[in-house]
Amino acid sequence: MRVGVYFCNCGPNISEKIDSESVHRSVEGVPGFGYFRTVDFLCSSTGTEEMENDLRNEKPDRVVVAACSVRDHEETFREVMSHAGLNPFLMQMVNIREHIAWVTADREQATAKASAQIRAAMKRVVLHEPLERKELDVNTGVLVIGSGPAGLKAALTLAEAGRKVYLVEKEPMIGGMPVRYEEMFPNIECGPCMLEPVMGEILHGPDAGNIELFTLSEVVEVVSSYGNFSAKILRRPRGISSDLCIGCAMCIEACPASGPNPYNCGMNDKKALDFPFRGVLPNLPYIDRASCLRTSKGEDCTACRDACLVEGAVLLDEAEEVVTRSFGAIILATGGALMDCALLPNLGYGVVPDVLDALEFERVLAASGPTEGAIQTYSGTTPRNIAIIHCVGSLDSRHLNYCSGVCCEVAFKFNHLIAHKIEGASVTHFYKTIAVPGKEEFKLYDEAKGRETTRFVRYDDLSELSVSGGGLHKGISISFARGEGIEADPFDMVVLCPAVVPSEGTKKMLSLLELSVDRFGFAAEMHGRMDSAKGNVRGVFLAGACQSPMDVQKAVNQALAATGLALSGLVPGRKMIVEPVTAEVDPERCSACRSCIPVCPYKAISFDAERRVAIVNPVLCLGCGTCVAACPSGAIKGNHFTNEEILAEIAEVLI
Amino acid sequence: MMTKPSVAIYWASSCGGCEISAANLHEHLLDFDANFQLVFCPCLVDAKVADVRAMADESIDVTLFNGAIRTDENVEMAHLLRRKSKVLVAYGACASSGSIPALSNLHSRDAHFKAIYADNPSIDNPDGVVPAVRTQMPEGELKLPRFHDRVKTLAQTVDVDYFVPGCPPESHQLWAILDLLIRGAELPPKGSILGGGRKSVCDECLRERKDKKIDRIRRPYEFVPDPKDCLLEQGMLCMGIATRDGCGALCPQANMPCNGCYGPPEGVLDQGAKMVGTLGSIIDIEPLKGLSEAAIREHVDRVLDGMPDYAGTFYKFTLAASLLEGARPRSGSEVPE
Repeated sequence: MRVGVYFCNCGPNISEKIDSESVHRSVEGVPGFGYFRTVDFLCSSTGTEEMENDLRNEKPDRVVVAACSVRDHEETFREVMSHAGLNPFLMQMVNIREHIAWVTADREQATAKASAQIRAAMKRVVLHEPLERKELDVNTGVLVIGSGPAGLKAALTLAEAGRKVYLVEKEPMIGGMPVRYEEMFPNIECGPCMLEPVMGEILHGPDAGNIELFTLSEVVEVVSSYGNFSAKILRRPRGISSDLCIGCAMCIEACPASGPNPYNCGMNDKKALDFPFRGVLPNLPYIDRASCLRTSKGEDCTACRDACLVEGAVLLDEAEEVVTRSFGAIILATGGALMDCALLPNLGYGVVPDVLDALEFERVLAASGPTEGAIQTYSGTTPRNIAIIHCVGSLDSRHLNYCSGVCCEVAFKFNHLIAHKIEGASVTHFYKTIAVPGKEEFKLYDEAKGRETTRFVRYDDLSELSVSGGGLHKGISISFARGEGIEADPFDMVVLCPAVVPSEGTKKMLSLLELSVDRFGFAAEMHGRMDSAKGNVRGVFLAGACQSPMDVQKAVNQALAATGLALSGLVPGRKMIVEPVTAEVDPERCSACRSCIPVCPYKAISFDAERRVAIVNPVLCLGCGTCVAACPSGAIKGNHFTNEEILAEIAEVLI
Repeated sequence: MMTKPSVAIYWASSCGGCEISAANLHEHLLDFDANFQLVFCPCLVDAKVADVRAMADESIDVTLFNGAIRTDENVEMAHLLRRKSKVLVAYGACASSGSIPALSNLHSRDAHFKAIYADNPSIDNPDGVVPAVRTQMPEGELKLPRFHDRVKTLAQTVDVDYFVPGCPPESHQLWAILDLLIRGAELPPKGSILGGGRKSVCDECLRERKDKKIDRIRRPYEFVPDPKDCLLEQGMLCMGIATRDGCGALCPQANMPCNGCYGPPEGVLDQGAKMVGTLGSIIDIEPLKGLSEAAIREHVDRVLDGMPDYAGTFYKFTLAASLLEGARPRSGSEVPE
């Protein structure tokens, strides 16, 4: 075994503090020492050329480069190794610049330290094994889960770049939550109208051919990993052919059955065969199997098919199917939901009539909602005095510590819409703090503040409020522990603005994809600031409120970030390099204790129940070594960082 | 007539359990007697040290040496038996890795003597008499072997050919080794561990395991564990994950956590450190994310409360052979031997 040592002076950076001649003398006694070269700038083009030629002539078995940080130039010198016909992993770098020269005042001490570390590297490098990088063909397609603003924007952008996209949506329509909102903050724009251009492009734009849309569908299994995922998608029956139906609604009139409409929060009924609400895209009704006479009662009703003008458009008794699709990356855009207000019983939600949560009120305001946009109490009267309670569950250490960031804006939008729909109606905002950051978001707040009929009441803690009363011809009273005459002024309606929480779909997908979650149940990011569009499973990118409460602008921006990562990570014609510095399980010594599986930050370890061993997926493993340390029976080896290599290095420095 | 191969069994600083494991050979004792000649075993055979001294060097075929090295006498016997034996086996956890006697490496000899002979409330010793190598009495001089400051393993004292783990080793494992000798099979390379597997106790344990995440450590008196599920996953500090297999996972099958007597599995340098490293990995920190420093500290304290004796739990059988070999006195304060 012959070790070649390259010492880079880095101009004066290293040579001023470390004497290469002394270092040379100190390391030549190490077993396996071959030769020692001092070079002025090893990373320069002449330096690397010189090193390459030298390696060809000397043909060392192992190489130590004493220079700068691994982050700067490990790749440079690995390339030199490769060009010289040597395995790049048979080289060990010692950082004598940042770690020694720059931080050691005394030249003698710096030289001694450098000598010790180079000797340690020599002891280590002789144990190095040649490792090979592997190349994998990749599938550049992308699975987008969820079709809210984030999912839509991601799908469209990827399709425009020529990528195959599988867009999976569990509801019968696309658009997510905003298509249910009549108007959106901060500029009072109609939600469906704002999304229509994107939805239109997705359904029948020039790149729509690249998108396969699955509505009423759910991802039920994902296997394999980044670059080559495969998923099973469960498609529930719509009962209507998306190819043939023209959306004329003749069948809807004919349908004799009806049931509560979940898209209006159950506030009214719709037909068993119906649109979720008017104006949805795709422009297709669906059969609600819970209320259809055939599926719920077993009756032989064919009214819809009989009324249909297009032969074969109504598919009675359509069965669900599971389809399999392959793709290289996943964008998770399954969104958020509102906290269940019943968790705060003092607010009367679900008990006191006309206490609505923000989503219910959105539907009340919507022209496609249960009251066709008229604000009405449940008894049909027009409310004159409305209370809006902010921070329901947000900024609350007993519920959710975080500020949901959108609720104040939503509340002021409500204020605006109430003022426009009911002349002279008064609105009282019960708030804890007001959060309206951004360059446009102040407008609705200013407007509310300037409105004579608007009143602001500040509370410290929600427990100070108690909502009671209500019912026919009776107002709702909000008793306020520190209140000044608020009880005397009964409300006709109370709107609660709850915290944004992860949706049920998000929770389900996070668990299916084995992504880590934060303590609130949102997807945990690779890094909260610098890599917030990456989940901790390689190849799974995050967009929208599955990761944190956010507004449409942020969700769409994040979708574009996720799209960028999918586009740059998977490039047609380019292979994926699988780095060999990964962990490996010795199946002969794995005892199936399963300690390693939950510690992997990248979910790279799975358990083979048949062979009773843990298996590391080298595509997902980033070689961090956490499992190597965790494996109690020493059955996991960290390639390039084996125990023997590390101990040889430490022993030389310490002893 | 061919002479039967000779075997010696010796106890150094030990409890006698290793001899019991030999006695536990049951009917194989007859096979043992038929195939071997027991030339020296203070517990069973009336042969004296002088007889051993009189033997030719390397005249004993195999010596099973149990017990740790605590006194001058232990050292002397280790050297003597090494010289007289062709094959010297460190038999059992004490000889292999120090075991219980080596837990005394947490304190100095003087501290032990003080605790045992001076401060012990059941001893009346106003003069503070402690054992000494030589004591003058009216009747003459009394001699005791010198008591060392540190307990060592057999291999830290003399050259050892093989190691047999266990406290005590399982009798079927002993028989498997003896059987190897009877059949004249080729012995494994020097330094090998005999009578144990390559994996961990989990490999032999029949309990059901899931991916490990535990919220706290629960001590055996606190609850009756479920008989089917992994003890560690139930919060019981079972050392099985960091312990060599070969015992048949006896303790976990009896609803008691493995205490690690077979030492570390192949490839593990330090059983205790490995166990601590793994525990650090599998204790669930998910609920701690975002909590205050004080709340995190409280949780950590609660977890640590379940482990009142780190060394006695993680190094019960391996302290002398561990990386640190015991507590390290601050430099300069080491008591000379």
